[in-house]
Amino acid sequence: MADLTPIAAWTADDVQHLARRAGFGVSPEAAAALAATPPATAISAWISGAGLDVAAFEAALARADPVDEVARSGAAAVPGPHPYLVQGANAWRNDLGRAQAYCAFRMQYSPYAMQERLALFWHNLFATGWQKVDSVALVLQQLETLRAMGLARFEDLHVAISKDPAMCIWLDSVLNRANGDNVPNENYAREAMELYSLGADNGYNQQDITELARALSGWSFTVRPADVVRAPDGSGRTAARGTFRVYDGSANTELLWNDLGAATPPATLPNFRAIGGATFLGQTFADVNAPPTGMAKGEHVLRAIVPQRGPQVAQFLARRLVHHFVTGAPAQTDLDDVATMIRADAAFDLRVALERLLSSRWFFDPANRYALVEGPVSWTVRAARALGYPLAQAAGATAATNRFPAWAIVADFFDAAGMRLLDPAGPNGWKEDVAWLNSGTARFRTRLAAALALGETFRQGDAPRAIFPSDPNAWFAAPPADPAAVLARLVQLLQPAPIPDAVSADWLERLWPAGTAFAWDDAGRQKARALAFLVLCSPSAQLY
Amino acid sequence: MTTFTRRDFLKGVSAAGAVAGAAALGLPGCAPEDRVIQPATPRPARPILVVVFLDGGNDWLNMMPPTVGRNRAVYEAQRPRLAVPGADLVEIGPGCGLHQDFTGMSLLSDLGRIAWVQGIGMNNPNLSHFVSQDLWGQGSAQPNGTGWLGRWADAAFDPAADALRGVAVTGDVHVMLRGQGRTFVSINGPSGFVYPAWLRGGRVGAPWDPALLQAGYEAAVTAPTGGAPPGQAAAARVGKAFLDATRAFGVEGSLPARTPAVAYPGDAGYPVRRLDGGPLQSGLARQLKLVAQMIAAGLETQVFFTRIGGWDTHANQAVDHPNLMRALGGSLSAFYDDLETIGVGEENAQRRTLVLVWSEFGRRVQQNQNGTDHGAAGLAFCLARGLTGGFYGDYPALDDLDGNGNMRFTVDFRSLYATVLERWMGLDAATTDALLLQGAARTPYPRLDFLPPVAA
Repeated sequence: MADLTPIAAWTADDVQHLARRAGFGVSPEAAAALAATPPATAISAWISGAGLDVAAFEAALARADPVDEVARSGAAAVPGPHPYLVQGANAWRNDLGRAQAYCAFRMQYSPYAMQERLALFWHNLFATGWQKVDSVALVLQQLETLRAMGLARFEDLHVAISKDPAMCIWLDSVLNRANGDNVPNENYAREAMELYSLGADNGYNQQDITELARALSGWSFTVRPADVVRAPDGSGRTAARGTFRVYDGSANTELLWNDLGAATPPATLPNFRAIGGATFLGQTFADVNAPPTGMAKGEHVLRAIVPQRGPQVAQFLARRLVHHFVTGAPAQTDLDDVATMIRADAAFDLRVALERLLSSRWFFDPANRYALVEGPVSWTVRAARALGYPLAQAAGATAATNRFPAWAIVADFFDAAGMRLLDPAGPNGWKEDVAWLNSGTARFRTRLAAALALGETFRQGDAPRAIFPSDPNAWFAAPPADPAAVLARLVQLLQPAPIPDAVSADWLERLWPAGTAFAWDDAGRQKARALAFLVLCSPSAQLY
Repeated sequence: MTTFTRRDFLKGVSAAGAVAGAAALGLPGCAPEDRVIQPATPRPARPILVVVFLDGGNDWLNMMPPTVGRNRAVYEAQRPRLAVPGADLVEIGPGCGLHQDFTGMSLLSDLGRIAWVQGIGMNNPNLSHFVSQDLWGQGSAQPNGTGWLGRWADAAFDPAADALRGVAVTGDVHVMLRGQGRTFVSINGPSGFVYPAWLRGGRVGAPWDPALLQAGYEAAVTAPTGGAPPGQAAAARVGKAFLDATRAFGVEGSLPARTPAVAYPGDAGYPVRRLDGGPLQSGLARQLKLVAQMIAAGLETQVFFTRIGGWDTHANQAVDHPNLMRALGGSLSAFYDDLETIGVGEENAQRRTLVLVWSEFGRRVQQNQNGTDHGAAGLAFCLARGLTGGFYGDYPALDDLDGNGNMRFTVDFRSLYATVLERWMGLDAATTDALLLQGAARTPYPRLDFLPPVAA
């Protein structure tokens, strides 16, 4: 039985548990402060982002240096107020690494950590890959949708993703044609149920897939002429964003997704729609082209999934949410309880469901502490939050210190560490918990740890610069008095699962052999870095 | 089941077809009379298995389409815009031909180097990529989360050694490779395999003491994990696997440099390009080059796992699938030729290596607008100097499809696994059956005769 009643009181340790799972950690001081407030209101605000001051973060994003094209390739930078990387005028660059860096930067510094954590969660669930979409701008548009709707009603999120331009390319909706004698392309219809709402073979059959594919035929997107961005050398055009469209006979003023070079938009969209009725999940629809007011053609069929298969959708969501936020080894009865809560209490309102789950006694049960292996991106972000500069220091005041180089370098290694952010290999995303671990991903975590803890540098111009600038003095509220104090503080910051006593004793003995005096000088700070490195590499620190 | 004699082969090969195949391989002047079936070399003392996974569901119906009869008629009717014309096929057997874009494969087939298993599949096939991949990976009647090669590792590996005996040349470790106690290590590059290392390469040095850091890491990954959360034991296991592998992998974590003896797809000078004339990029070529480098370096590795994605051709199949076949066929041909240059006599790598190619399912017979959707029965094949080429499954009858319009399987996929485990890897018959039956009460999977029975 999963006890889903809310906790009535909490400690700084409880706050850290919440912050590891539903964010990217908090400082020991912030945890102590939060623990002094009632958990119900604090957790609700943590989830909704209410009362957060995001001004400095937004300003840093806006002020961040545009792509430093002069330094990179000698080409002139595109002028204009385009933040950091990818938006607007920079869409033509289609630079995955920069987009990954942008997302990681947001994760590291956004005061609304839950929003970024949820976007990462939904990105894994609705996994869409840049390689096939071939547009960083459209992939980031999907991430915006995930940020905006991560706490919406599930069916609304599901429909929004079904209409998302990147998804329409990723799973071939734009090529799903059922007019005339065309046989529909069932790629999206299958995954809309198998991967995105129900789970494999869980309440649907091949006939349902075919019927849904017919209902969703012709789903596509268009691009406003103003959102078509040309490469400066004229070599191509990119959509900075797209707008969902399906043929409805109305006049058209936008360009087709696959013909951005057209001189003028076609007067109407081509009609690839199936005609007639459909029987889907046992429900009969008289006309796939006659949705209720306010819905796109075929949307009423898609929206039948939740009402027709509520228990299965609830089980699907329970499994995914629990495997990311609570434990990798839930009992079936626990999943049943969470599913019942999602369906009966929250009525598929994700905000309500997450508030219930993340304030529950079950979530805070000691058995669920460190009951999950953390994914490599959030693992790296969490360590960077703990050890790196705060926003004010990192963002700096001048362009020269304002390029956020860390993530542009580090993002290249997310793939080797097991998560190619924004570019999953398949629509099933990444398996979580222990599936994150193999000898290769473990190896790359140790290399990420070297950059995070040991102060690895790279050359930019004349001076070597740290990939992750950090200052061991800033890790400590007061200079540590002995090796044990160094370890205790690093454990507070990095929040590993309990490290076996024999292991920590081994580390301290190697770094500060018995009989040597402890001093908090340069050599002492180097040893603190070495100890932080060992903590990050250890099995305990792979959990969250 | 049908095996072919050399005469049958030669009968089926038209001169035009052979020339087209040779041209595709970049071998002008390879005349049909050069296509003489080679006898299989004996089972090697130190066999190597290279698994190639075609991720996404290969439309083998367009890779090896029917050429005559009822199957051809159904094929053309169901694929009005995607059926491969007979002129683009190289006949390799009775009633079927290979797509001319499947670079080099018709030549190797004619030489008797490929065992084709048409119609391979299972009862109650699943049209989900992920369920079907798990079934193929687990390869047992009662799946328990381990893979058939992982269970082989459990049974065959020395618990205290064999750090590199199973290697995934991919960033992940497929379920096929996961055992109860042993799992394959993931290695996807030839160098820098050391701890501690900087993110951007190179061993961590002064002011830190690498030996101290390594000892500290070893203490952490070898500490008892009793009472710790389950993930901690898993993290310790992979950390130790990584550390052990660094000690067995080359010198200072790097293999000797090796220049392949032949050009692979994507290399400068490789003659075959994409349909649009662009270079033939292939991650598989990179993986197979690394495998060849590991074999040449003398690593103890017995099984390598590789993957080439992109086979989920729901759309744009007329372009994407031929490009994939060029990359796959070109990579396999180059690898096969490259291996011949490594080691001598019985230790020659080509004689030691068997390549097993599989995909999670075939695709729907009826095309959609410009692609094909998920299907059932598939094609697997093995490539080796030490096998007897031919056809080891029956081509499914295209006029007898299942209720979803998919082909019915003719060979159980575990027959292929049993054959490879027993007749190539040298596992005894009883252990082979135990690994694949997992206690199910049924008759053992029959072996396929592209490899000879092991002498008693």
